[in-house]
Amino acid sequence: MPENQPHDAFEDRLTAALRDTGDQFDADRAALVAGGHARGRRARMRRRAGVLGGAAGIALVGVGGAMLLPEGSPSGPERSSVASSATARPSASATLVPFSGDDLLRELKKLLPKGRFSEEAASGGVNAPGAYAHLVYDDGKGGAAIGVSFARVEPGSRQVRELTECPDETFVEYDDCSTSRLPDGSLLKLYRGYEYPDRRVDTKFWSADLVTAEGQHVTVSEWNSPAEKDAPITRQDPPLSTAQLKEVVTAEVWRRVVDSLPDDPKKPSMSAAPDTRPPGASGEAVVETLAGLLPEKLKVVTRGGQETEYGYVVVDDSKGRSLVQINVQHGMADVAGQLYGNGETLPDGTRVTTRQGPGERGAAGVVMWTADTMRPGTDGFRVVISAFNTGAQHEDATRDAPALTVEQLKEIALSPKWDRMR
Amino acid sequence: MRQRRADEYAEFAAARAGHLYRSACLLTAGDTHLAEDLVQETLGRLYVRWGRMTRVGNPAGYAQTVLTRAFLAHQRRRSSGERATDVFPDLPGAADGDASLRLTLLAALARLPAKDRAVIVLRYWEDRSVEQTADVLNVSSAAVRTRCVRALGRLRELLGEDLSEYARP
Repeated sequence: MPENQPHDAFEDRLTAALRDTGDQFDADRAALVAGGHARGRRARMRRRAGVLGGAAGIALVGVGGAMLLPEGSPSGPERSSVASSATARPSASATLVPFSGDDLLRELKKLLPKGRFSEEAASGGVNAPGAYAHLVYDDGKGGAAIGVSFARVEPGSRQVRELTECPDETFVEYDDCSTSRLPDGSLLKLYRGYEYPDRRVDTKFWSADLVTAEGQHVTVSEWNSPAEKDAPITRQDPPLSTAQLKEVVTAEVWRRVVDSLPDDPKKPSMSAAPDTRPPGASGEAVVETLAGLLPEKLKVVTRGGQETEYGYVVVDDSKGRSLVQINVQHGMADVAGQLYGNGETLPDGTRVTTRQGPGERGAAGVVMWTADTMRPGTDGFRVVISAFNTGAQHEDATRDAPALTVEQLKEIALSPKWDRMR
Repeated sequence: MRQRRADEYAEFAAARAGHLYRSACLLTAGDTHLAEDLVQETLGRLYVRWGRMTRVGNPAGYAQTVLTRAFLAHQRRRSSGERATDVFPDLPGAADGDASLRLTLLAALARLPAKDRAVIVLRYWEDRSVEQTADVLNVSSAAVRTRCVRALGRLRELLGEDLSEYARP
């Protein structure tokens, strides 16, 4: 018990309750340690590279056994960190020997079973953001497009979760999806779905996404057609099984490819901010508020949303399911003219417009009714809500009209309760 | 020599990650994603400073300080003022009766300003003295006392009755 302050029974109980509650939380410790280690190593690497670059313009630092080569001109001594450098090509930074597009194609072919290759395309990512290799592979049963692409992501960030979480089935129809943690702390998502979520053409799209604890992101994708879109289906399924996809995506060579990518100058530095979430209303609070504003006769069947700004509920008024989605956004003032050109302005300056049109995903008979509002002020605070006459956007209409009228949608969007999120 | 230090770090990180994570979960009032982030950030910073730190002694205490400061820095970036979070925590095994009590506690912590929450976690979870808490937070002892009294009052209000189950002889 802490000393030098009188304490009472409540403090004892609080201590016990904190212990009890804290002890319930159990993390994937290996992943935490790997993630921490990766952040530390990168911070140290940046620091070293910065010091060397500033002093002499030469950076020869061994990392993971690879050679770092100096590139470009030396920077001034005021530049202390590679991450803060604002040039597109890393000037004073230490860069691993980059892979060329041909290197990437060669490595990809090595990992694929025997077959014929055509329509090869690739970029090493030195002059363009991101690296990729793409080809058409034919194992004798029909040509199929296969691609691999690379990026660097912030470990532990929202982006990683978005890459490795299976999509919400309310929005995307797919056959199978799983996420697992590999022994080295990497996250792996294996996905089997369709190129067009509404399946207007049944092109299958299968993919594997790997995000390592160090933030290396590798995606391998394949189709049962020689092109992603606008090409006939040539075979029942894409050529690689899920197990083969996993094998290709986890190949060690790809991690070196990601390490060789130049730093994206637009990205904030890794060490500066553990917080990579954009500021914004929490998705849970959005859903909670939305649910609280619905007419009482509507039963909420499911609810969900994103980490920030977006939420949805599926409601049922006993005439069928109806999806209601909402976005609560900041900083939208710059597009106000486009959004509310045809709308009205309320006495307090709030801009409002409503729309009634077809759904966005092309499912049969789906309509989407929308009320779009922006509060006055420099923060560009927008609340936009839409209701559908179906429980999922990619499913055909289940009823004539959404469960809420445009007037009701408008009323919800204009509720002062949203102002708490400003 | 260098290898020995690397081994020491690895051993320390493996041994402390679980506790740091639990502290972080209390600081964030159950936001486990943010807690993971903060722990990784903390371990990353320790990695960079490991050589110096081992000479300072008590790396576990230092790690807690780094974690608390990372949390407060995060809260500052997130909002201009002190704002209570209102996120429903993800608590494993939320089905049994005790779980609802834990959720109640986390919900009450969530309603405290970040600095007050840090004071409560340091004093009653980490068992730090007022002076040690003041050091971590870079404020005076008097300020810690003030915050502590205020936070306890608020918690008593929010969960006075609920905590009676924790009455121990």
